[in-house]
Amino acid sequence: MRIAVGFKVTPDYEALRASDWARAAAGVVDTRYVRRVLDTFDESALELALRLRDARAAQGRETALAAFSVAGREADPFLKTLQALGFERAARMDASGAAAATGAGDEGDPGAGAGLDFAPSATAQVIAACARELGADVLLLGCRSGPGDDGTIPFFAAEMLGHPCVTQVTAIEPAGEDGLRVTFVADDGPVRATVRTPCVLAVGNAIVSHLRVPTLNDRLAAREAAIAGLQPADLDVDVVAAVGREPVVLTCLAPVDRSRAGVIARGATPAAKARALYEEHLRARLARL
Amino acid sequence: MKDGRPHALTVVLDGTTGAAARQARALGAFLRDGVSRAPEADAGPAEATGITLLFYADERDKERLVRLAPTRDVHLMRVPPRRPDLMAAALEALAGDAGAELFVFAGGPLATELATRLACRTGGGVVTDVLDAAIEEAALICRRGVYSGHLTGRVELGPRPWWVTTDAGWCDAPPSAPGEHRIAADTAWLAAEDDTGAAAPLADVEALESPSTSDLETARFLVVAGRGAGSRQGVERLEAAARRMGAAFGVTRPVAMNAWAPMDRLIGVSGTRAAPAVCLVAGASGAPAFLWGIERAGFIAAVDTDEHAAIVAEADVAAIDDGVAVLEALADLVAGEPAAPPA
Repeated sequence: MRIAVGFKVTPDYEALRASDWARAAAGVVDTRYVRRVLDTFDESALELALRLRDARAAQGRETALAAFSVAGREADPFLKTLQALGFERAARMDASGAAAATGAGDEGDPGAGAGLDFAPSATAQVIAACARELGADVLLLGCRSGPGDDGTIPFFAAEMLGHPCVTQVTAIEPAGEDGLRVTFVADDGPVRATVRTPCVLAVGNAIVSHLRVPTLNDRLAAREAAIAGLQPADLDVDVVAAVGREPVVLTCLAPVDRSRAGVIARGATPAAKARALYEEHLRARLARL
Repeated sequence: MKDGRPHALTVVLDGTTGAAARQARALGAFLRDGVSRAPEADAGPAEATGITLLFYADERDKERLVRLAPTRDVHLMRVPPRRPDLMAAALEALAGDAGAELFVFAGGPLATELATRLACRTGGGVVTDVLDAAIEEAALICRRGVYSGHLTGRVELGPRPWWVTTDAGWCDAPPSAPGEHRIAADTAWLAAEDDTGAAAPLADVEALESPSTSDLETARFLVVAGRGAGSRQGVERLEAAARRMGAAFGVTRPVAMNAWAPMDRLIGVSGTRAAPAVCLVAGASGAPAFLWGIERAGFIAAVDTDEHAAIVAEADVAAIDDGVAVLEALADLVAGEPAAPPA
C-alpha cells in the first residue's frame, strides 16, 4: 500500500498580536516575524500514517510512505524530519507562480504556496497531481488548514481523483491487504467503517496529534536523502490558470471584535487576586445560579 | 425541479441519520435571518420560493422529517444511509434543471462533501461555514471566518449554481415557527448503484457510542483549562477546583491534544459550544476557535500570566497570574460559602 501525506507549513497565527489583525482591513496580514509550524491536522495525519505503517508491518504487510507539501523552502526542515522518520519519498511542489500572478498572500516573503491560500480548487488540483505522481493508494490530508480554513480541499482532490473521501478521521487501522478500518466523526456522531482504496482521508481531531521525533541516528541515516523538487508544469498543471478559474473570490478581510470590558482584578498574591475576583465580580453572580 | 416548477433556492436536508433536526433548525434560522436579497434579485420570502430536498432512508421516518423542512415545498428523495455518492448523483441531476441556482446545506462533514463535489461537477462556487449571505443580481456575497477565526472574509461567487454550507453557530439560533408543507415529489435514487455497479464507499459501518458532553452544553457555571495549566497535573488540579466550586469542566484544544484531558471535554469549534452564565478560564490565550465555544457566556473571568494575551481583553474581568494558583484560591472562597437555599 502506498500512502502519500500532503501537509502545509503555516505561520503560527496564535503568535500574532491584536494590532496585526487590526491591519487586516487594509488587506495586509504580516506574518514575517512569527515562526512556521506544521498545520495541526496535518501533523496528526503524518503521525497516523507512521502508525498505520507500523501496524501493517506487524501483520507482515508492506507500506510505502511519501510526504509532500505545496510550499517553498520553508518546508524543507519538515521534509528532512519526515525522511528521518521513514517517509521514503519527500517532495516539495513549488507553486510560486500562483503567488506572483495573483499578488496574494501574506506580506513579505509569503512562501511558494501563498498564491493558493484562498484558491481551494486550484490547490486541490496541485495536490491531486502530486498524489498521482506518487502513485498513492491513500491520500492523507488534514481536514482543513489556514488561512482559508474551509475544509473543501480533501473533497475537491477526491473528486478530481475519482476517489471516495472521508473527513474528520480520528483513527486508521489496517483491514486486510488493501482496506482500512477508519474511525471518523460524522454528522450524527462517531462512526467506524471499512474504506476501500484508493481513497482520500482527511484527519480531524485525532488523539494522535504530535509527530514523533526522529533519533539522531535516524537523522544521520537520512541526511543524504534528496527532496524532490516538483513544478506544476511537470505534472501538467497550469496553476496560474487554475487560480484564475476559481469561482469564489476573496474580496476583503475584516478583523473580528470580540472584546469585553477587560477589567483587571488586582492583588499582591494569587489568593488576593482570587479574593478580588470573588468579592467584586463573582460572588453575587454565583449566588444567583 | 421534478414537479415541473423551477426553484431558485434548494435547501438540502439529510434525514438518513440522526442529524436532521439540528440541520433543520440551522437552515430555518439561516433562511430567516442570514440571507438577504438585493431589490433587483428579490423573489419573495425564501420559505415560499425555495424547496427542501429531503433525503430519507426509511419510509417510517417520512412524516416526521417532512415536518422539519424549512420550506413549504418538499422534494423527498429516498437513498440508502451513508451514501454520499448517491446523494451527490441525485443532486447533480437536480442541479442541471433550469432555474436551480442556490443550494444551501447545514454545516457539517456531509454538507462539505456534497457542496464541494457538486461545485466541482457543475462549475459553480462553494463556500462553507457561511455567517451570512446576500443574493445580488450577478453574484452571491458571503461572509465567513478565515485565518483560524481571527478575521472575517467577504467572498464573491460568480458562476452559478452556488453551493453554500452554514456556519455551525446557526444551530444555536432561535427556531422558526413550524409551517405547512407540500410534497412536490417523492422519488428514489437507487438506480445509480444498479446501473453502474458502483460499490458503496463505506462497508461494515458501525456507529460508536458518543461520549456525553451534555454537562458542558447545559452548564450554568463552567471552568475551562488552557495550555497555561502547564501539565496534566495542572489540569487535574483545575478540574478538582472546578468540582469543589460545583462547576462543569472543559479544556482548550491544546490541552486535549496533549492528552491532559479527554477529547470530549473540548470547548470550541472542534468541540462543545457552551453558554454558561459564568465562565472561568485559566491559562488559555483566547484563540478565536476556543472563544467561539464560550462567547455566549453571560460573564467571563480569565486568569493568565500574560497581560497581553487576547483572553484578557475578551473577558469581562481578568487576573494576571498563574491560573491554577488563583482558581484553587477561588475554590477555597466559593466552597467556603454556605450553599444557596433552593429556589
